[in-house]
Amino acid sequence: MFRVILYAQWKWSRLVVTLGTIAAFILPILSVQGASPLPASPMRAGEILTMVQAWGVLYPVLAAALGLLVAIATWAPDHRGRHVHALSLPLPRWRYVLLRFGAGLVLLAAPALAVLAGAVFATRFAAIPSGLQGYPVALAIRFGVAVLVAYAVFFAVSAGTTRTAGVILAAIGGVVVVQVLAGLANIHLDVLTPLQGALLLWPGPLAIFTGRWMLIDV
Amino acid sequence: MCRRGHLLLIAALAGPTTLAAQHTAEIRARADSLLREWRQASALAAVQDSLRHAADIAGRDTVRAGALTILVNPSPLPVARAAARAWAQIERFYGTAGEALARQPLVLRAIDPDTAAQQNPGGALPVSWDVSDDVLTGLLVSLADLSGADPALHDWLGGALIPSFDTEPRRAQVYVELVTAPSQAVRGCFRGDRLACRDALSLAGTPDMLTRWYGPDERRFLATVEYGAFLNQGARAPEFRSCAGGSDSACLHLLESLPPGSLRRPLSYAARFSLLQTARALGGAETFHRLFSAPPGPMGARLAAAARVSEDSLVARWRADVLAARPTPVPLPPWGVWVALGWAAVFMSCGLGSSRWRVS
Amino acid sequence: MTHAIAIRGLHYRAGRSFEIPNLDLSVPTGSIYGFLGPNGSGKTTTIRLVLGLLRPRAGDIRVLDRPMPHDAPRVLARVGYVPEQPHLDPTLTVREVLRFQGAFYPTWDHAWAEELLVAFDLDEHRLFGKLSKGQKGKVMMLLALAQRPDLLVLDEPTDGLDPVVRRDMLAALLDYVSEHGATVFISSHLVHELERMCDWIGVMDQGRLVTELPMERFKRGIKRLVVSGAPPIGDPTPFSVLSREPNGASSETWLVRGWEPEMQAFFETGGASLQRVIDLDLEEGFVELLRTFRTPRREEVR
Repeated sequence: MFRVILYAQWKWSRLVVTLGTIAAFILPILSVQGASPLPASPMRAGEILTMVQAWGVLYPVLAAALGLLVAIATWAPDHRGRHVHALSLPLPRWRYVLLRFGAGLVLLAAPALAVLAGAVFATRFAAIPSGLQGYPVALAIRFGVAVLVAYAVFFAVSAGTTRTAGVILAAIGGVVVVQVLAGLANIHLDVLTPLQGALLLWPGPLAIFTGRWMLIDV
Repeated sequence: MCRRGHLLLIAALAGPTTLAAQHTAEIRARADSLLREWRQASALAAVQDSLRHAADIAGRDTVRAGALTILVNPSPLPVARAAARAWAQIERFYGTAGEALARQPLVLRAIDPDTAAQQNPGGALPVSWDVSDDVLTGLLVSLADLSGADPALHDWLGGALIPSFDTEPRRAQVYVELVTAPSQAVRGCFRGDRLACRDALSLAGTPDMLTRWYGPDERRFLATVEYGAFLNQGARAPEFRSCAGGSDSACLHLLESLPPGSLRRPLSYAARFSLLQTARALGGAETFHRLFSAPPGPMGARLAAAARVSEDSLVARWRADVLAARPTPVPLPPWGVWVALGWAAVFMSCGLGSSRWRVS
Repeated sequence: MTHAIAIRGLHYRAGRSFEIPNLDLSVPTGSIYGFLGPNGSGKTTTIRLVLGLLRPRAGDIRVLDRPMPHDAPRVLARVGYVPEQPHLDPTLTVREVLRFQGAFYPTWDHAWAEELLVAFDLDEHRLFGKLSKGQKGKVMMLLALAQRPDLLVLDEPTDGLDPVVRRDMLAALLDYVSEHGATVFISSHLVHELERMCDWIGVMDQGRLVTELPMERFKRGIKRLVVSGAPPIGDPTPFSVLSREPNGASSETWLVRGWEPEMQAFFETGGASLQRVIDLDLEEGFVELLRTFRTPRREEVR
């Protein structure tokens, strides 16, 4: 059962997974290019850090994008058929959903491994100044976990009904409206900052996306 | 006096002939006239400044919190509350040295943020009266700069002396500088050479800092790249080419020809400020009192005396603090992976709850 | 008699517009049950409730002697379902669709699936989304048959298909049923199609089951009688009078249900004269039944 679901999901998401894997491999290599071509340049360490930090922003973006697109592709055939086929299959709903989730995870392993391969390749052939070191494995692990979290979030949202999505959007919209109205009424009410902190700081769900996504660092 | 002296010198060089004597008398008269004009203009400018100052403070309330004195027009701005909070922070940082702020009253002008009319704050610092307590407190603290009273400290620091106990982000930035700064002194400091740290922090004040800060490659880089646009022109162009061709003496000469104070120091303001914070931590509340009271001398000795430790100990402690503030690199803490996996499981279980009852 | 599908007191509501207030329905095991009704009568809704795709508000549904939707996975493993609209992944080829479906059914018959593939003349390399309506219908029927089900639930499987395709599909269906004794629950508004193959009939209208009985009784039971000298309205009759309409001054046309030939004596003893007995086919009977169900003119005596 898992194999056929995996194959069906591959047909829907092969473009996303293929392009994402290529991007995931190239990103670490690009991040160490462009520093001073002279290995003895006094600015090399600073330039490398600046370059790696600039490119590092793309890792969480790529992780989130892959999680989103693969989650959408996971549920696309069922949404298209209004879930009639899936619900008429002889297995419990939770098991079917688990199979779908697992198939998406397997597909997302490719870009995560591509980051590892690209990072190892980049750090192997880059001249890293003393005081700095490469973190290819740590970067790949962080990327893989971030992809997993993003996929899980969007998988849950995509699995829900239109009503569920509406409730989520209404909740987000409600928070924004409350904040705007408080500002207009000159009431010192800050709901966005604590909410932001709860989401983005450890142990929040999105904390994995923050921090220094640097292949080469101090 | 200087101008008058110059005029007199010109006049004196005119020659001791009768015609020259008459010419000298004319020039002297003209110089006297110019001097009178200059004095009148200075007096008028002083009057204008005092009038503007008087206009600024006219109709203003005086708010005092400790030595902090604030002149501000009546408004909803919570000045008293913010001043009390600010003074607590300032006093904690400066100790009794903070009393010097009494001689530097702050003049604020509270501005209505909703009015469309242009409000001319004059010489006062404009502050919108809808700012929060925290923002106003931070502003008042940032204005409590005592480095102006100590020109040597101000020159060494290279920026304002703002009371702050916030050390971690600054030390993390300094750590990165220790690793990446293009300076042999900084690299030596990172490796543990405390003398190199003193040089990098400009503590010794010796005249040959350029060669102690930067090695030959670094000097060539500074001269040909960082200051290349300024140095590669006019009479310095041939020397520039020589420096670019590998002559270290040419590079050295070019860098020495830069205007005083324009050569980049190997470590930034953040590094020197963090050293101040280390000295404050070691020396306690009266550190700045001792620093401002210390006799003139190398900044390293003054800071060490203020912190009541040896200079070597001060630098060692500073270096240890910076190394301890190494920025967290990309590897996740062990619990971080589990937290992230936990969240993934939570969201997956939300998806597992996908309803069977969705066909309509 | 055992029932492949047994519904008791089913209550379902969808918004404010549609309701099945209280449905009782029984599909005898081994029968071919035709589920008739006009568009919007609730046929598809009833089928979805039977298969556990919709949740009822009240009532009891048992399929193959198991409660639904409680035992849905176990039941659905023995049920072949052809829905009203083809709902498969359009990016899969026919071969991939077969492979996908076969992975979920332990009883999947690969050899027979191949036979049906040839019999239905389907291109296995063609994407499902690119097939014609008829070809999609064939694929759906193939999937339902190849898993060797005990119960086939078909929701208007031949709707919109050309006669050749319909013939092929129904032939394969009847072959399977005759070989394996499976129960078939087929909904349609193509009355003449059901007339040929079904042995039970249920008629649904506006969320209610109008009638449910063996096909022969249904066809036999509804007649149009031309009567002269008809007795007054209200007199008891041995059959159900669905409607009476005058034919000029001297005779009436009666639409009756439950007619038996020996009931002719009723008119003779009453002084009336039975001029003619007109047989109705299933479609005419279905139309008349619905007409009287929606606008009843006389109360039934029995």
